[in-house]
Amino acid sequence: MTDNTTPSWQHLLDLVTQLDSGSYDSAFVAYGNISVQLSRSGALAAPVATAPAPAPAPAPASTSPAATSPEPSETIIPSPMIGVFYRCPSPGAPPFVELGARVEPDTTVGIVEVMKLMNPVTAGVDGTLTSFLVKDNEQVEYGQALAVVSEVGTP
Amino acid sequence: MIEVGNGNSDAAPVVLVANRGEIAVRIIAAARRIGASPVLAASAADSDSPAARLADRVIVIGPAQAGQSYLRPELIATAALQAGAAVVHPGYGFLSEQPELAELLERENIAFAGPRPETLRAVGDKSSARKVAVAAGVPVAPAVEIDDVEAAAGLGESIGYPLLIKAVFGGGGRGIRLVKDAGELARLAPQAAAEAQAAFGNGALYLERFYPAARHVEVQVFGDGEGRAQIFGDRDCSVQRRHQKLIEECPAPGLSAATRAVLHDASRALVQALAYRGAGTVEFLVDTESEAVVFLEVNARIQVEHPVTEEAYGIDLVAAQLRLALGWDPELPDVPPVPPATVIELRINAEDPENDFRPSPGTISQVRWPTGPGIRVDTQLESGYRFPPFYDSLMAKLIVRAHSRDAAVAAARSAAETVVIDGVTTTLPLHEFVLSHPDFIRGGVTTSWFGPTWENRSEQRMESVR
Repeated sequence: MTDNTTPSWQHLLDLVTQLDSGSYDSAFVAYGNISVQLSRSGALAAPVATAPAPAPAPAPASTSPAATSPEPSETIIPSPMIGVFYRCPSPGAPPFVELGARVEPDTTVGIVEVMKLMNPVTAGVDGTLTSFLVKDNEQVEYGQALAVVSEVGTP
Repeated sequence: MIEVGNGNSDAAPVVLVANRGEIAVRIIAAARRIGASPVLAASAADSDSPAARLADRVIVIGPAQAGQSYLRPELIATAALQAGAAVVHPGYGFLSEQPELAELLERENIAFAGPRPETLRAVGDKSSARKVAVAAGVPVAPAVEIDDVEAAAGLGESIGYPLLIKAVFGGGGRGIRLVKDAGELARLAPQAAAEAQAAFGNGALYLERFYPAARHVEVQVFGDGEGRAQIFGDRDCSVQRRHQKLIEECPAPGLSAATRAVLHDASRALVQALAYRGAGTVEFLVDTESEAVVFLEVNARIQVEHPVTEEAYGIDLVAAQLRLALGWDPELPDVPPVPPATVIELRINAEDPENDFRPSPGTISQVRWPTGPGIRVDTQLESGYRFPPFYDSLMAKLIVRAHSRDAAVAAARSAAETVVIDGVTTTLPLHEFVLSHPDFIRGGVTTSWFGPTWENRSEQRMESVR
């Protein structure tokens, strides 16, 4: 089923696992007529054809639409781990970010506490923080949607 | 919204299942059996697994990689808190023998379905496990610690050749070298010390007698945590490839009453000395030449092959673990040393036995199991299941019980031939091979039997064609 130019599904899974356990923020790998794009921030470029191939396919429908979209698009910030989500650095302190504030990829929007260990959650993208999907002090799971950032597309 | 958790005594106690695959399915069934509510702690890759669908609730603890999910004690403890769990069952592998998880749970007043953390530490490394065994009067292999690597060759005569060089802090079959004579010992000891230093952070070594023709026999124990020990017979797990068990049976065939008594008495002494809590296994080598019994290690958890014991005696070890952890009576009967039936378990793995046992994950297009008297299947497989590439390759355990060993071998062979698993390559052909082989049918093969016998089968086939 596998020849020299087509990686098998297993190869792709291995590749994704390997990239995911690395420290890459985004990655693009092309081999033969197969290309793989990964991004932790959810900002994927539209797939690039590597061969004299058909017109670029549309980006897969997901929570991370293609960056080429001219309208503002929304990005979900997922919880990096299971734990308790906090919007403020300490009880009574002002929140890390207010609704409607501008955020940059490394802006801290909250923390997830796991057994007394505080893990900062960063926005991952440029844009405006439009809503929180979980309450302050709420239990969250890995990958659970925490907040929405509205990105301003390139005009 | 605040959920009422373990504060409500009328509610069914919550069991957090901190594992995946077939053992998660097994623990969920045991939780239901005792009237508890099973909640599954799953990685993102397993959040829609068959086990997830059987549980009352699924909590996603991390990404697919075990190192960021199933192997992190703090994530499991957090999930236990979120679930309002009364008890966490760790299954086997992953965190089952890590004292860190047991300690974190202890701090949160959540029970751990396993031994106390100090027991896990006491039997966790080779050197301390051996000391515990010696103190309890359990037979161990002749061994000597090496003080000076350069003078190691002088120690070999006291053990006899061939012998093994082992790292005191090694584990999982790593850091072991087989040595034929004094010259080889003198040459390899410094290498082994350097390697142990690099791999385990400590170069301490010892020499141990090597038994070239031994069987792997283990004893199922259950302790009440206060010094009372129950013994549930023995299992033979000698059909192995590279220290991975392939077929297990209960009882171990062809043991003399005297050897069996040594195995069971030693195991009982060990459980009592440790005031061991819950289910465990004491592993031994039985030398086929001298019938000498030698302690290997304690597996302080439920084992993959526990069903052969359950079927032989009609007990539920996993339910008993949960019941004991909840402070209930485990409801385990006292049983005779030899059960009234023989049970054989076949491990069916997603590996290609024709290609050096290469892993073969993929989508299961169709799966069908045999039915009939004495047949049990422990599995997470179902048609359409995508067998994930991130974890170990165990797909299912086919367990067959019959009134005698001959009948059990025949029934297991017939059951194995009826299994249908389409879409991936499995180890089923090796089971049909072993169950038809005169050596296995006779019973009592050694741990070094399967490897070369399987490797040479194609040559034998060629011979028979000529």
